[in-house]
Amino acid sequence: MSNKHLFLPSGFIRTPLQNGLGRYIPQLQRITLKFCKNHGGSRGVRDFIETDLMEFAKTNPGTVVYLKPRRHRYPCMVAEYLNGEREYLSCHEFSRAEIQKWLSYMCTRSGIPVMRFRKYQHTDYPSIQGVWNPFTHQAPEINVAQFPHEILSKPVNNGPTATDQLIEIFKKTQIKDPVKPEH
Amino acid sequence: MNELSAINVISKRNFKPRWVAPTLREIKRRKDVEDDRNGGPKIFHRSTFLEWLNYDAEIFAFSNRLGEKFNEATLRTALTHKSYVERETARLSDIGVDSYLQIQNNEELAVAGGALISKFTNGYLRAVFTRVPEELIMAMHDFLTSTSNLEIVGKHIGLGDLMLCSDFPCESETYVKSLKAVVAALAESSGEERARIFVQDLVVTQLYGLDINELWNPADPVGNLTDILKREGKAEPEFRLIKHSGQNSVLAVYYVGVYSDKNFIAEGAGESLEIAKEMAAREALKQLFHTEDSMKALPFGRQLKNIQSKIVQLENQPNLPLSKWISEKVTSAVH
Repeated sequence: MSNKHLFLPSGFIRTPLQNGLGRYIPQLQRITLKFCKNHGGSRGVRDFIETDLMEFAKTNPGTVVYLKPRRHRYPCMVAEYLNGEREYLSCHEFSRAEIQKWLSYMCTRSGIPVMRFRKYQHTDYPSIQGVWNPFTHQAPEINVAQFPHEILSKPVNNGPTATDQLIEIFKKTQIKDPVKPEH
Repeated sequence: MNELSAINVISKRNFKPRWVAPTLREIKRRKDVEDDRNGGPKIFHRSTFLEWLNYDAEIFAFSNRLGEKFNEATLRTALTHKSYVERETARLSDIGVDSYLQIQNNEELAVAGGALISKFTNGYLRAVFTRVPEELIMAMHDFLTSTSNLEIVGKHIGLGDLMLCSDFPCESETYVKSLKAVVAALAESSGEERARIFVQDLVVTQLYGLDINELWNPADPVGNLTDILKREGKAEPEFRLIKHSGQNSVLAVYYVGVYSDKNFIAEGAGESLEIAKEMAAREALKQLFHTEDSMKALPFGRQLKNIQSKIVQLENQPNLPLSKWISEKVTSAVH
């Protein structure tokens, strides 16, 4: 499951011009619907234009909608984004609802080409307190210590050894000397 | 007439005859050879294409996209360049129509807009970076109002197809002028406050993700730190070696700490003692200015609501320069 054989580029999620940080700017600049006035395959597009197009244009005033009737050609839509990218989609034999869905898909995209997201978050500051280095959390006393040192030469956080534990257990089980009765 | 060819295709299952792919491959190969010979593929302005844009509709969409209301005449003036007006007059006089065109160009608007952008950026920087010396504020301001930054902003709000200019592909200067003129047009149409929010939302947000300590560093951090501590009445900074490793090797590292009257201020690391000392002084200054790597995140957009009045107040009030910097005179930012 390596990435080498995939034609799909991969990357981290990003947005053009820090969109959304200040204000949200819809990235779809213009959309061109090309269709045939007669042919059956354009029926869905024609129905969409007659019924839902005005509402779409009203809800997306930042997008210019162009209609281009072309005879004897299959219908398609071409979306142009603010960063210069263009997306082509053939709408042949689409229903009205399908066109509505694909159009809303185009609206909500930025122009960045489809890619496999490696992670759904990204940060420029992965470490706030600073990346660990071997000097982090080291006692400053090592600078002026003479080695071998009583404390610093020994391993840190060393619990009692098995031998020590056995000695402790033995000591607890010892019967203490009874108090000598006074004569 | 030129035809647009889309690059990104949402692909579907498609059974084409056997000969289609090899034919298209050969055509592409020949086209690539021609393009290489001509030094790159030919590019055309959007107006040469069959489906040329309806300029009125594009202007309408532009103002709606940004969520701003423009006075249409001012906006059109802001997008018209002097070179375009000259070219049109020349073209008309060539034909024989000797009419003096009454179209205005955007030179004055661009100058006004540039001043506004500069002012609003300075206001934001001084309100957010209250403890920072004026030299760093100027460095950040110069970055935000640089040609490259404003060009990127201009391109990504769709000015490329709207500008009326004679040069194609449009130069950076043209984009920058158009953006400045648009800001001035917005100030004229909707008021200075809307223009301020516009600049904060589009120009200043390019500061996000930027390491501001890459933009400017004091030339003599040790001297500056000594001066500041003296002015504050604290003891002289004392530099002590804290840690070191790999002394005689290529990967030597020295950690030097800055102390003032035996109080630890900051530490810095470097390949040699001098570098480490300078880095420690820089870190100490960063702590004083609140620009460490762990500093608070910058506010943008809606988060600026509470400090807008402070921003307006500080637009014309520069911060303390480094030569006069002292902690008592600066306040910590609340945002």
